[in-house]
Amino acid sequence: MSPLATSPPVSGTGEGAAHDLLPSPKVETARMVGLYVVSVGVALGVIAVLVLAVGHAPGSVFTALYQGSVATPGALGRTLDDTIPVILVALGTLVAVRAGMFNIGQTGQLVFGAVCAAFIALKVHGPGPLVLILALVCGLAGGAVWAGLAALLYAWRRINVVISTLLLTYVATQVLDYLVSSQRFLEEPSSSPIGALPQSAILPANVDLPHPGAYPSFGVSLGIVIALVIFGAFAVLMARSPWGMRLRMVGANPTAARRFGIRVAAVAGGALVISGALAGLAGSIMLTGEVYRITGGFANTFGNDGLLAALVCRDRPGWLLPVSFVFGVIRSGGNYFLSTGVPDYLALVLRGLLVLALVFPPVYLERREWARRLKAARVLVLRGSRAVAEKGSVS
Amino acid sequence: MSIDGTADLSRIAESTRTPRPSREEGGGIRSSSDVRVELENVTKRFGPVVACRGVSLAVRQGEVHGLLGENGAGKTTLMKVLIGLVPGDGGEVRLGGRPVVVKDPVHAAALGLAMAQQHFSLVERLKVWENVALAHRGKMGRREATRAIGEIGERYGLTADANARVEDLTMGQRQRVELLKCLSLKPGVLILDEPTSVLTKAESRELFSVLRQVVQVDGLAVVLISHKLDEVLEVTDVVTIMRDGSVVAELRTAEADAHRLAKAMVGREVLLQADMAAVGLLDEEAARAASEAPAGSAGTAPTAGTAPSASVPAQPAPALRLVGVSARGPDGRLVLDELSIEVAAGEIVGIAGVDGNGQAAIGEVMSGILSVEAGTIEVAGREVAPRAASLMRAGVAVIPEDRHASGCVLRMSVEENLVAAELDVFRGRTGLLDKKAIRARALELIANFDITCPSPQVPMSALSGGNQQRVVLARELSRDPRVVIAVQPTRGLDVGAIEYVSEQLRAAAANGAGILLVSSELDELVALAHRVAVIHGGRIIGEMTRGRIDVERLGLLMGGRVA
Repeated sequence: MSPLATSPPVSGTGEGAAHDLLPSPKVETARMVGLYVVSVGVALGVIAVLVLAVGHAPGSVFTALYQGSVATPGALGRTLDDTIPVILVALGTLVAVRAGMFNIGQTGQLVFGAVCAAFIALKVHGPGPLVLILALVCGLAGGAVWAGLAALLYAWRRINVVISTLLLTYVATQVLDYLVSSQRFLEEPSSSPIGALPQSAILPANVDLPHPGAYPSFGVSLGIVIALVIFGAFAVLMARSPWGMRLRMVGANPTAARRFGIRVAAVAGGALVISGALAGLAGSIMLTGEVYRITGGFANTFGNDGLLAALVCRDRPGWLLPVSFVFGVIRSGGNYFLSTGVPDYLALVLRGLLVLALVFPPVYLERREWARRLKAARVLVLRGSRAVAEKGSVS
Repeated sequence: MSIDGTADLSRIAESTRTPRPSREEGGGIRSSSDVRVELENVTKRFGPVVACRGVSLAVRQGEVHGLLGENGAGKTTLMKVLIGLVPGDGGEVRLGGRPVVVKDPVHAAALGLAMAQQHFSLVERLKVWENVALAHRGKMGRREATRAIGEIGERYGLTADANARVEDLTMGQRQRVELLKCLSLKPGVLILDEPTSVLTKAESRELFSVLRQVVQVDGLAVVLISHKLDEVLEVTDVVTIMRDGSVVAELRTAEADAHRLAKAMVGREVLLQADMAAVGLLDEEAARAASEAPAGSAGTAPTAGTAPSASVPAQPAPALRLVGVSARGPDGRLVLDELSIEVAAGEIVGIAGVDGNGQAAIGEVMSGILSVEAGTIEVAGREVAPRAASLMRAGVAVIPEDRHASGCVLRMSVEENLVAAELDVFRGRTGLLDKKAIRARALELIANFDITCPSPQVPMSALSGGNQQRVVLARELSRDPRVVIAVQPTRGLDVGAIEYVSEQLRAAAANGAGILLVSSELDELVALAHRVAVIHGGRIIGEMTRGRIDVERLGLLMGGRVA
């Protein structure tokens, strides 16, 4: 007889439920939603105050945000284009985090991937679709290599991944700056005496990602399909494959994972490489589907957007698509701020506040949950040993 | 020493330092004047569970007061209430006759109450002296701390290297540091929570002589929380027995005997062999074993221990054969030094030894997480590469020493932990995991191994220690292993769980597995093993069959003397 196994499922609220093992899902959801409403409300309120402070009507900003992002088919298309890299980068980050690898060098991986893609797109001549595919694959590989450096350092000397990926980002942006200002490499050919701008030439049109539709009517690059397919594949793999479970074991307890015969360095390093590959792919899709040329400021904070999106849905991968979309909305809607006279950097402030607002509730609830669980665990220990003692007295 | 702030009680201790009253005097009516701490009617609830139910207890100076009970009886909770670690729900605490409200452990320390926790409260990354200084909340420098360690060490024979890092110490040494830390506070009352759960017999004896010293010379009051009968009988003056949160008996140790204590503690007659192993009453068992001991030689060449006909052993390949295995720890120290041992199928071979002589390394090598420098591992006659996957495939199951750190993944669910070692079995046709099959398997194991949990999906961390160990056993033993390496498998478990683990190991042996049982509990080894080998300095330096165990010789071997 095990008393716990036969105890009724938890349903109560308040005091009674606090001591049971699992919180009621309904109560949990309601609390979570309530907290989100409050914290997002506070973030929007702060933005409204800031807009007022710079002398504009808060309403106009929210209108601009709406109109610039989803109000018209064209705007929606742009928003989706801006969502693609965020999905890919965030997805990779989640994979790495599962394995306990805190990759924060997405920007570097994205940049290096884009550089590789740009080389192929500009220097390889051949049938357009073939070159395009080659460029995307090389972009993916470039990102993988860039993250792979950090993975190697980790496997070799357990160099902290946070530090190596971050520092490699600086290296990548320097490499990019050099390449786009050197005629031998990627700089736009120019005969002007003052030299060219530090940017590459425009990609040949035949290697662009197909982009059905164009502003002002609805249009989005084929990258959205790539991103969604990859997202779906990883969602299934992470939830249901042995690899997904190994990934979690490695992240949660590497020593136990080793005992279970898992090659920890390979799994963890692999997750980091995958993360870099997806960032690299994101960079090449941006290049071939939206920007069409590589410049010094190419990354345009997309790497950080992905990192932040992953932060928001660290423990709820199902949110990844909507959260990425929200980031797309803020980006494309933020471009509209200027039309209302509001400085567009307020869009960045808005993004930062929204991230805080979205990250706060789960962290807050988690902390409470831990305190509660600690209590519940004590109860369980007591109950469990009693159960054993009782069982013993029966036999 | 300039340790201030340990006001009240330590001063009382100084001023009233009197010789400990002899048992004859104390046996009758004891005066209440020497009562150091009194708990009256203390109650503590955790939600619906009552951990302590109106418990009253008086601890006198110059006395070791045993607090006996199974895990979950409320002993530790009671003491945590006393030192202010958890707030009580009712009742009164009196120190030297005056009611006090102990706010927190710091306050308790100031009042002269010091508690050595079962799971040490040491900072592993810091050095020994730093840990001691921490107990004084920064009011103690390096020189003072080192001196305090030296003085206490000399006074009580409690030596420790002040400059060693705690993470490099064995469990026994850490226990010493924990005790040093408490004593450096000059407490009037010293509370020890299951101090011997990680100690060997010899280390325990050492500890007890320190305790004697502490009560006799310094007149401290000591509370010893324990579930081991023999140590309670050996070291305490008075014993209070708790069961289910209540005091069920209090008696002079001199008037107690093991059977009476065991009955009061468990609430039934203790008869099972494993129970006896747990509480250290194995004379009958050992005698029986001696009469039916296999005729194999007690010394050098081990034969199949269970073979009934000792005349011509068929000599099949042993389930496990280690030949000259050497391995180094992370610090470069040689932890296994050409260790060789054989375990026949169906045989349980015990490894005894003082903690830190390579026991943990055996488990690590056999799970493939410590690389082997030299030597070979053979399973059923075939050499196996010392890698986790190869060892697992060859049928080696390991019940590791520290189930939290490496036996399970606390953040993952019970069912995931149950199947973690054989994920490939649950790969469906698509290559994805078959969740239904995993669930079914988990429910089967939960039933077979009697794991108490609300659902297979709750996180491992929600289970009690005994149930976590059942999950580990279920995962390892359900794979029909050829070889089982069990390292300290009953450490920290209560009688019921110990009994269970012992039964499971016996059953596995009966099914033909060769079992290597590494334990610092001699009683456990004697109860379970057909042969006991002694490890010292990473090598086997002697062995004997169960029936011929000579405790003195064993002691010598464990001390590193080849006898």
